[in-house]
Amino acid sequence: MNDATGASRSDDQLLDAVAELWTRLDPPPDDLADGVLARLAVRDLEYELLTLVDSDAALAGVRSATMLRAPEETGTWSLEYLGPGFRVQLRISRRQRQARLDGWVSPPQPMTVMLSSVLRKGGVLEAQVSDSGRFEFPVAPAGACRMTFVTESGGRPQATPPFWI
Amino acid sequence: MSEVPESTAATGPGAPWGVAAAAFTRWREGDDDGFEELVRVLSPVLWQVVRATGLDRERAEDVVQTTWIALVDHAESITSAQGIAAWLCTSARREAWRVGRQSTRERPVDDQVLAHGLPDHDSPEEQVVLDDEATLLWACLGKLPDRCQKLLRIVASGPRPNYTDVASSLGMPVGSIGPTRGRCLDKLRHELTLSGGVR
Repeated sequence: MNDATGASRSDDQLLDAVAELWTRLDPPPDDLADGVLARLAVRDLEYELLTLVDSDAALAGVRSATMLRAPEETGTWSLEYLGPGFRVQLRISRRQRQARLDGWVSPPQPMTVMLSSVLRKGGVLEAQVSDSGRFEFPVAPAGACRMTFVTESGGRPQATPPFWI
Repeated sequence: MSEVPESTAATGPGAPWGVAAAAFTRWREGDDDGFEELVRVLSPVLWQVVRATGLDRERAEDVVQTTWIALVDHAESITSAQGIAAWLCTSARREAWRVGRQSTRERPVDDQVLAHGLPDHDSPEEQVVLDDEATLLWACLGKLPDRCQKLLRIVASGPRPNYTDVASSLGMPVGSIGPTRGRCLDKLRHELTLSGGVR
């Protein structure tokens, strides 16, 4: 600060005064820090949702429960999801009461893929994305499932919305 | 972040950088209270940094939270406790610009509305009581060109940001930030002198 001599403030002092002014004009919400701590506390439960961009035949999430209970149902369905920096194509094949799931990640990148049943807890299947971007679950669970992708660099997991196998 | 670190040297006697560095060190040594202190000390600073980019309050709060999540995810890569405030502010500023660009694409907003949610200069915040000096400073800031107001708020918030970041925010060449900052400060001093205030 200057004094009676009238010397002007340094750039940093003047900017500090500007910063101080804004602190008073535009204070943060009182619970800003609490909100941060609360969000971090539940962070482990968080994942980012991938976006369904394409599907054929039976649509993700809209196959009826009746169809699900038809164990003889056979066929192939494909789904495609878009995430931050990657795209995932899934092909679900059902024959003879068995389901198989093949996937492709593009561009290929090292990731762990987890396939879990939405309703039945536990029993999470894991696969690694290969150098060419492929992964597979030769025996997939039936019913509503969700697939979660975890990159090696950390960050939030990316998960698909539920889809039916 | 492998950028030129922001300066944390000259930002006022009340600047919490030292407290933040100590809290960060305690956290890295296993004391969770250190993390909570870090959050409480620096969240208000991040708020100013993010709001200076022009985000509305709701998005600003979200960006502050995202920035802390990024810190937890990348804590291993931060080697200098002294640089923690700079790391957080740089991350917050970039995330704020990313979010700001995204929301502009989603919903074109009139430039005036986007202009930092600046309170109206004719009615300095009824609910905030400013002393004479602050009132004068506020009035003088209001006489500067909009770009100067934006730039001064950005460079004033948090540790003094590096010019690369400021340039990308304002769409100006890096080399012009220093001189522009100088001209804006000169204009502000001029207005303060005309008003008989502390320059």
